[in-house]
Amino acid sequence: MTDSNKIIIDIENIAKIYKMGFEIVHALRKVSLKIRQNEYLAIIGPSGSGKSTLMNILGCLDTPTLGNYHFKEKDVNFMDDNDVAEIRNQEIGFVFQTFNLLARSTAAKNVELPLVYGGVTASERKQRAEQTLINVGLGDRMDHKPNELSGGQRQRVAVARALVTNPSIILADEPTGNLDTKTGVEIMKLFNDLWEKGNTIIVVTHEESVAKHAHRIIRLRDGLIECDEVNDNPAHDFEIKEIIES
Amino acid sequence: MFNELGETIKIAFDAIRTAKLRSMLASLGVVIGISFVILMGWILTGLDNAMQDTFDMIGTDMLYIDKHNWAGGSNWKEMRQRKDITLNQAKDFCERIESAEIAVPVIRTRRSQIKYKGQAYQASFIGTVSEHSIISSKNIASGRFFTGFEDNLSANVMVIGHKIAETVFPNEEPIGKIIKIKGRKLEIIGVMKKQGTMMMDFVDLQCYVPIKKFLSIYGRDRSFEIAVKAGSEEKLDEVRDEAQGLFREIRNLKPWAKDDFSINETKAFEEMVKSVRTTVWSIGLLMTGLSFIVGIIGIINIMFVSVTERTKEIGVRKAVGAKKRSIWLQFIIESAVLCFSGALISLIMCSVLVFAVATILPQSVPEVSFLSPTLSYELLITASLVSIFVGIVAGLIPAVRAANMDPVIAIRSD
Repeated sequence: MTDSNKIIIDIENIAKIYKMGFEIVHALRKVSLKIRQNEYLAIIGPSGSGKSTLMNILGCLDTPTLGNYHFKEKDVNFMDDNDVAEIRNQEIGFVFQTFNLLARSTAAKNVELPLVYGGVTASERKQRAEQTLINVGLGDRMDHKPNELSGGQRQRVAVARALVTNPSIILADEPTGNLDTKTGVEIMKLFNDLWEKGNTIIVVTHEESVAKHAHRIIRLRDGLIECDEVNDNPAHDFEIKEIIES
Repeated sequence: MFNELGETIKIAFDAIRTAKLRSMLASLGVVIGISFVILMGWILTGLDNAMQDTFDMIGTDMLYIDKHNWAGGSNWKEMRQRKDITLNQAKDFCERIESAEIAVPVIRTRRSQIKYKGQAYQASFIGTVSEHSIISSKNIASGRFFTGFEDNLSANVMVIGHKIAETVFPNEEPIGKIIKIKGRKLEIIGVMKKQGTMMMDFVDLQCYVPIKKFLSIYGRDRSFEIAVKAGSEEKLDEVRDEAQGLFREIRNLKPWAKDDFSINETKAFEEMVKSVRTTVWSIGLLMTGLSFIVGIIGIINIMFVSVTERTKEIGVRKAVGAKKRSIWLQFIIESAVLCFSGALISLIMCSVLVFAVATILPQSVPEVSFLSPTLSYELLITASLVSIFVGIVAGLIPAVRAANMDPVIAIRSD
């Protein structure tokens, strides 16, 4: 934890303006944010608050209309498509609400995908993908296709895919949104474990119960940060729930 | 880069395998186009090989001094007014030419009737001397050419062409048989090999008789030719130069006078072949072009469908770090693989067709026996490369569209 103070993400006065037909939408108005290594952060807000837009910008999937974005001190605004793709590949791991796995590929192949674009050899890809799947508890499901897996297992595959490149941050967009409560809790426990191992985690959600696991909570409303607070008492109710349900 | 390429090719095959029927229908145009390329190449190769065989048989080192220009020439009227080449001029030439391996006088009829067992057949006759065997002995299938002795005696012997042997003696050994020509009886002593093809089958109707016999049958009232064998293709120029000078001298031409004879080469036939070749090419090219246009449109269409269907997948790939170039490559390769699969189908189809045609058709149409029952490797490789090229061209626009997709929008689509 020597460099736990190192800033990974630094955004300053970010704004995103869309044009929808004749209407101009201010998805983000003026957002500034610093995220340090090994933070566990939740971005919470109702729909339309701009949290998805913020996540897309943080994940380098989208570019802000105004403002500066430095990723590990590099200015993302001045990068070309290839450099941005490389950042997504090497530095960021996405976990989506709808899993977004490739339906025709096995779990192992899905996890390998970022390594394919990272130029890793086939044998190393296979070995790393398998190890990561074992780490998320799916060692016995490697050759299963997504439609042969449960929702929770699919999300674990997606988490493994996000982890396999050892990214600087993991960006999860409503990771429990499509899961039942029990499985959702399991996934949140997985995130907690990852954080304990030193990963930086950003969870975007509209559910308080999800956000309360984080150590820092940012509330968005109407494209602005409403409050940015430290959660002194992050939830640790994974085991309790499991006992109740079983 | 290479790690990615291998994976991308796998993805392309998977994508095609999951939509077999659709892919097959889409590549139908390409299948037809490639089939045209293959069949056209097959016919042209067959034609070329047949021509080459014929030239090799007749000899590519041959020159023929004749009153007429075989290739047609510009001034037919002038040629008709030329004086006939006499036997003495021809003999004189044959004795004096030095650079050539051999030169012999030749005289021929266009069409003549022969009779065997009361049946009449068409043949053409060549009167020549026994030394002609130096030119033609390697083309004798059975028997022998006539000797100098038979030549001097004006013996009643003849060597028949392959086609004559085939039609007159379908189930008999021709050697030793007697044929009637204008009431005279001639004994067959030799049979020539098959030399002609679809275009030059007149060669196989030719029969050789001693020159004196020829003159006694058909009379002297015609122009002689001189067949000159240079010895090798490299010597052609040298021999041609000497022959021209020598024959001008023999014909008593003034230095300023134009040649009143022509020196013909086997190349004259090549001109004839070229025009047929060009016809086959242009028809083939037109058909190929049309089917490729249809084929490319089909592929472009299916590739757009494929890109649209997989919008979400493109979004996911971009989110995990695929560069534009990678996405572009993925669809280009898919398109190329699609066309290449089409090419494989047509290769198999054409191989079967070609084998069937080349083995069955010549039984009823012997003129097409020049067609080979197999396709050459060059042809298969060319067809494959063409298909891949077509795939790349057809995949360009859909691939660019896929590469330029906004990942945020793509990943949200269903």
